[in-house]
Amino acid sequence: MKIGKLRFPSDDLSKRVLTEVDFEDRLEGFRLRERSGPIPVTMYSFEEVASLLNDPHPRLDFIELETWIRKTMRDKELADQVADAVRMESSDQNRSLHIIELLEERLDQCKKSI
Amino acid sequence: MNGYTGKILRIDLTDRKISTIDTKDYEQWVGGHGMGSALFWDLVKDKTINGFDPRNVITIMTSPLSGTLVPGASARTEVQGIGIQSSPIEWFTRSNFGGRFAPMLKYAGWDGIVIEGKADKPVWIDIRNEEVKIKEARHLWGLDTWKTQEEIWREVSGRGYGDWVELDSERRTTQRPAVLTIGPAGENLGRVACLIHDAGNASGQGGFGGVWGSKKLKAISVVGTGSVQIADPNGLMEARLWAQKKYSTDLNNLDASWVARFGRRKPQNLYWDRQEQARLQACIGCHQGCKERSDTGYGNESTCVETTFYNYWDKSKHGGKQTSAVYIAADLVQKYGINAYEVSRGLGYIRALERMGLLGRGKKIECDLDFRTLGETEFADQFLKMIAYRKGIGDDFAEGFFRAAKRWGRLEEDLKTGILYYSYWGLPEHGYDPRAEVEWGYGSILGDRDINEHDFNFLFWWPSGAIWAGKTPQPPAEQAVKIIAEKLMPYENNPLMLDFSTDNIYSEHMAKLVGWHRHYTRFWKESVLYCDNRWPEFINSRVPGYRGITGEGEPKFLNAVTGKKFSFVDGMELGRKIWNLDNAIWVLQGRHRKMVHFSDYIYNVPYGGFGNYAMYYLPGREKGKWDYIRVNGRCLDKAKFEEFKTRFYNLEGWDTRSGWPKRGTLESLGLKYVADELEKNKKLGA
Repeated sequence: MKIGKLRFPSDDLSKRVLTEVDFEDRLEGFRLRERSGPIPVTMYSFEEVASLLNDPHPRLDFIELETWIRKTMRDKELADQVADAVRMESSDQNRSLHIIELLEERLDQCKKSI
Repeated sequence: MNGYTGKILRIDLTDRKISTIDTKDYEQWVGGHGMGSALFWDLVKDKTINGFDPRNVITIMTSPLSGTLVPGASARTEVQGIGIQSSPIEWFTRSNFGGRFAPMLKYAGWDGIVIEGKADKPVWIDIRNEEVKIKEARHLWGLDTWKTQEEIWREVSGRGYGDWVELDSERRTTQRPAVLTIGPAGENLGRVACLIHDAGNASGQGGFGGVWGSKKLKAISVVGTGSVQIADPNGLMEARLWAQKKYSTDLNNLDASWVARFGRRKPQNLYWDRQEQARLQACIGCHQGCKERSDTGYGNESTCVETTFYNYWDKSKHGGKQTSAVYIAADLVQKYGINAYEVSRGLGYIRALERMGLLGRGKKIECDLDFRTLGETEFADQFLKMIAYRKGIGDDFAEGFFRAAKRWGRLEEDLKTGILYYSYWGLPEHGYDPRAEVEWGYGSILGDRDINEHDFNFLFWWPSGAIWAGKTPQPPAEQAVKIIAEKLMPYENNPLMLDFSTDNIYSEHMAKLVGWHRHYTRFWKESVLYCDNRWPEFINSRVPGYRGITGEGEPKFLNAVTGKKFSFVDGMELGRKIWNLDNAIWVLQGRHRKMVHFSDYIYNVPYGGFGNYAMYYLPGREKGKWDYIRVNGRCLDKAKFEEFKTRFYNLEGWDTRSGWPKRGTLESLGLKYVADELEKNKKLGA
């Protein structure tokens, strides 16, 4: 499935995406490895979420991620596209690969915008 | 003595006295951990001393297989003694490392080393075959672990490989000495300090680096020109060829099960992205090569936890791209001689406190670290340096993050929420969380540390990887547990031992699995010193029917080397004996069943959250049918865990009210003297 292009973000959204969140707004996930098991990862920024999804074996609750993007980042367009990717892809691996494309696109836009 | 050199080196640092112990006196324990525990029992009269006490004895043991051609068993060294890392009691504990040290010790003519006492000023020990000297280490004290090794290499052998080291008129070698050393963290008595050998080899858990620091022991260097006598050299070579032909993986013809298990990605033990120009590197005698060396010169030979310490932070800081910071950080952890697990979990913990507004410049917990640079090399260096030299808040960090939390008044609250991810005995959680893979957690809390024995983890990794990738895990759960259950002697053919469903995790079946694992590892892994990265092998995708080498391979190699007639079950029984001896030591140190419990979050916080996502699968039964079932999202039930303990103690023949061993159990294992000592101390189970 091809993910649609995101519209260029507003300055406000760009600032939010590039700013760390408070402890209460953190997102939690894991990196999996055969020898060490799941390594917990606590994320305090959009960039850290993208970093996790760049890992060879990321584990993240995509529903939580969509909610976090929608409510904490207040990025409805991206949240909707993440929801589409979750619904349309058949495995968590493919969901990760598609969502990271979206996140990196948004991150890139925000960095250019600021 | 086939497989042995016949003598153990005994060094009293207080009196600078060097003597030997006849290996024959301890041969019944075979080697490694068994010998180490028996030596500790005999030499430490008061087991209640703490780790920094000069009377603490550290044993550094090899096995009959060290320095031989047995695959995945030549290079491990077992370190034991009272550690300084655990809480509330500094348990008699163990750690284990690979590389060249154990083989070189054997080639020099020694089956192990016993360190006693405390030097009045810094010393290092220079072993060249039978010649052993305790030398002044003033010039080494203060150096990092790599500079220390380089300095000793220069002193003993000139510039390194290629230069002849004349050990006497007839014996010489071009090998560099194998050096085991501490860094600044150990010198400054860090409870998170470890022992480092070469690069990528550490005796990490236990805080033995700090114990050496307290003894003013900087390093042990050994170089030898001897060899190991093998009882049946032809049998050993035939066993190797048999193992290679029947069990080794043909990387050019990976079968369908491999692809199904791992999807598009191949497994690896390095957490960072592999460097472009790199080649594999192995410990002495190993066929596997789980490390690598690269042309950058950074991160060489690192594998496992040190490669994860900074990986995520580096990528987060650099737009998802890995930079040299991750490799340099791994090198720094080793150079300072710091336990990578502590700093991995600890950094996550203080980052949380920083985001909570509790830690930082001018905050309740004063800390100089600038988290805006987290992910850069400079941050890693500053963080690790603070710990190694106890600078500022680094003085708290060096105590371990469990004790640091206590100093800050945060321990209770942060163990309740799980922000402080320390599941048992004040030690950092390894990753196989007790709420999911219960067997790992149970073994850890019933022992002295995170077990760090990955023997059943493939049962998590295979299905969790395959399901995540949208594949069907192979072999199916029912077939997998059947094959493994056949090999769980003396409890063989009970697949319920591998049922990780919530209904079964407190059962006697699970108690049997935990007991089996304690006995197997105490003997085959920690005494015979088969490497954890390769042994056991229950399932092998190359063999028709998937049956791996375990059960047949372990005694075959041991017997070829020693000429003994050990069966697999003989080894399991000796493992039970060693486990009982260890438990007796813990009981004398103060253990009671009342203190055997996990941190609060294990009982209160669902593991991995509530989401329905593909994270953690293990075999289990649902409505009577075997499958790989999702186990994230659950907690342990405190009352049911207490019932589990009772079942476990019963199975082991220990008093269910106290967890103390009973006389009958100890005497049946030939440990009457242990029962007598426990009775004298009013700690014998009823």
